[in-house]
Amino acid sequence: MKRKWIGVLLGAVVLAAVASGAAYASADREVVLEFGMFTGSYWDVANANSFTIIDQAIATFEAEHPGVRIHYYSGVDKDDYSEWFSRKLLRNETPDVFMVLGTDFHQFTSMGILKDLGPLMERDTSFDESAYFTSAFVSGQYGGTQYALPYETVPTLMFVNQTLLNKEGIAVPDENWTWDDLYKICRQVTRDINGDGVLDQFGTYNYGWLEAAHSNGADLFNQGGTQSYFGDEKTVQAVKFIAQIQELYQGQTVTQEDFNAGKVAFMPLTFAEYRTYKTYPYKIKRYSNFQWDCITMPAGSQGDNISQVDTLLMGISANTRQEQLAWEFLKLLTCDPTIQTEIFRQSQGASVLKAVTGSRQVEAILQEDMDEGDRVISGALLSRVIEEGCIEPQFKKYEQAMSLANSKISALLDADNVVDSEMKILQHEVDAYLQQ
Amino acid sequence: MRSTNGNESNKRRIWMLQGAILALNCAAVFAICFFVYCTTQRICAQYNARTFLDTVVTIPADPKADLLFCMVLLGILAATFVARILWLEHHQGPWTAVTLAIDVVVCALLIYWLDFNYNGLVLLVFANVVANVRDGKVKLLVAALAICGYLLADYNLLSIYLPLYRVSDYIQYYTADAQQYLFSIYNVLNSLNIVLFVAYCICVIDWQRGTIEKVNQLYEELQSANQQLLQYADMSERMAQTRERNRLAREIHDTLGHTLTGIATGLDACLALVEVSPEQTKKQLELLSKVSREGIKDVRRSVNELRPDALDRLNLRQAIQEMVQAMSQISDVQIHFQTDQERLQFDADEENAIYRVIQEGITNAVRHGHAKEIWITLSRREQEVLLVIHDNGVGAAEIKNGFGTRHMKERIEMLQGTVTFDGSDGFTVTARIPIRWSETYD
Repeated sequence: MKRKWIGVLLGAVVLAAVASGAAYASADREVVLEFGMFTGSYWDVANANSFTIIDQAIATFEAEHPGVRIHYYSGVDKDDYSEWFSRKLLRNETPDVFMVLGTDFHQFTSMGILKDLGPLMERDTSFDESAYFTSAFVSGQYGGTQYALPYETVPTLMFVNQTLLNKEGIAVPDENWTWDDLYKICRQVTRDINGDGVLDQFGTYNYGWLEAAHSNGADLFNQGGTQSYFGDEKTVQAVKFIAQIQELYQGQTVTQEDFNAGKVAFMPLTFAEYRTYKTYPYKIKRYSNFQWDCITMPAGSQGDNISQVDTLLMGISANTRQEQLAWEFLKLLTCDPTIQTEIFRQSQGASVLKAVTGSRQVEAILQEDMDEGDRVISGALLSRVIEEGCIEPQFKKYEQAMSLANSKISALLDADNVVDSEMKILQHEVDAYLQQ
Repeated sequence: MRSTNGNESNKRRIWMLQGAILALNCAAVFAICFFVYCTTQRICAQYNARTFLDTVVTIPADPKADLLFCMVLLGILAATFVARILWLEHHQGPWTAVTLAIDVVVCALLIYWLDFNYNGLVLLVFANVVANVRDGKVKLLVAALAICGYLLADYNLLSIYLPLYRVSDYIQYYTADAQQYLFSIYNVLNSLNIVLFVAYCICVIDWQRGTIEKVNQLYEELQSANQQLLQYADMSERMAQTRERNRLAREIHDTLGHTLTGIATGLDACLALVEVSPEQTKKQLELLSKVSREGIKDVRRSVNELRPDALDRLNLRQAIQEMVQAMSQISDVQIHFQTDQERLQFDADEENAIYRVIQEGITNAVRHGHAKEIWITLSRREQEVLLVIHDNGVGAAEIKNGFGTRHMKERIEMLQGTVTFDGSDGFTVTARIPIRWSETYD
């Protein structure tokens, strides 16, 4: 009798469990996808519209995927983002899809926080990696594995003070100009205008050995970051070239004020800065007393007109429970032409998609912001600069190694030493640090 | 009694040490999880997360979940331990092995979950298995596995291949002073575990050595007892023989001696009388005849008294069957007894001889022939009884006039029978005994 009752009770429990399980499964539960992003521009220029693109993407995504909601925390500043994200990480509250800062990418991938996108890319037949600019796509790789996709990219361009060149009777160089052209112009414009015996007009500001090295095809480190190439001919040539230019300034330091006052002909500038200061309202705040434009970097004897390209990356958490949805959303953000076109409208960077950046539509968007008569950087040129651009190496000791190299090289430039042997010594020092 | 007590206390000490190792390991695991969890909270509260991340290889996915999960696993370890002490000690069987297997799995999970930051759990598993596994080979295998596990589950080795978080990274988050304390605690926990384990091993070795010594001692005692028993058996046999001889001597003296003396005296009288009075002599001789018959009666009574017990109680068939059964039971020999006679009833001396010959035959077959099967047939051939005892033992190429065969021969010949032995195929005893089928002396 007792056993019978126990059987009935057990049956009831099992039935209740099955019923509640079925009810739970069939209920329309909302899936929430967390998105980690920061407010403001990645390129350190003012950007009031940072949410607009994301909001638009979220609206599109939620419309395509009923029952899915995307949530993001607003108000995390770019400077606080890394800390905010790290805290989330420590507490296992990592967002499913998130922006990755260039300074975090190496650390996070080596910790295994970012999902390996390889299998997802392989499975997804609609995904085409050749749609991205090579430099942008490769910057999402670490150790040969794709951990992030590029969202927005910014190449470095050369700012040209057209007013100054016109005054000196010099034509704005074309996009295939070289170090020799730059040196010639620098020699021409560097002089004492007001006759006080001190130079007050200069060729370049902020144009350093690194920019020169990039445009001379120099690689500074090997893939794994265990070996540097500062003694390499290409790098040495770049340093020598900078030394040559600095010689023109007779030991004087060119400052931002000189530049703002329109007394400097060239300055490296990111594409984001270019776009910010070319458009209202910032164009009246800066560089307003002269005409200016951007061109490519001058090519060294062994290199091309290329420069460093910075890319804002987005990745998926390795612990996400919504792998497929996260992948769909990441894809929407990084390779949907509509969303990527919005980057030109709402942000200051360039799209990472070849088709978008090179399109007529984008040129029209860029033209909208410009003054009449301003030359707009062509989509084709922009595409070339991005496609061929150098990307910052990803390894743990990169920043320390670079600051070590920077201080040594600037000391070397000031001291007028023999560049070749000093660069060899520097290479040994950096190698010793890297191999520690 | 004293050694049992010693063993008990030793066993209790082993349990206690095992408990101590378990408690220490639980404390260490809990301490690590709790420390990582608290430090994570602290880092977040102090807004040092990004700086901290730069100093680590990787971080545990979810310190809070880890803490809960590890506590559940520790609970399982404690439960299996308690189960072994309270319940399974009296229920040897597969369940002990099951709890040990659970321990192994749980410890492996814990070590993995802690990213190999604490491998002292291997020692815990090893300690449990050493105490509970009897089989030497299994023990050796487990020992080898444990050593491999202890060496392989080492953080420094594995971190080359796997991204593993490091407790020392979390310790290094604190100020130098605090670091010193924390590192000491961490090291003390590790060392204490090893110290406890060594103490435990010594205890187990001690205990097992005690057991071995006890077994050896018992074996020696058994040996000497055996020796003594043999001596007793020998002595009692000889005593029985002596007693029997004395009885026989007395019997012979009392009956046969008495009768023969009477007959001799009577015959002397006859010799003296035969010429004087033949009538008288005839009377005397009749008397002597009567006396000698009386003597025969006496002799038969004496012989009767020498009959085996079984024959006293039972008839011959039953007695033989009882003997056959008893022999089969005490040795692993199959004995088949067959007879064509419904009624096996002979005179006592005949029954006695048959019984003894069978007994002797079985004894010989087992002792000398190492036979596994013995066939005994008893049949009537006219006025004779034919007794054949055949076995499948080693036989004998040459029949030696040994004690066993001589006895048989004597017994049979006393009844004017014949006996032959054949050792070519097993061993066969064939005895023919003329029987006084209906004749009686009475």
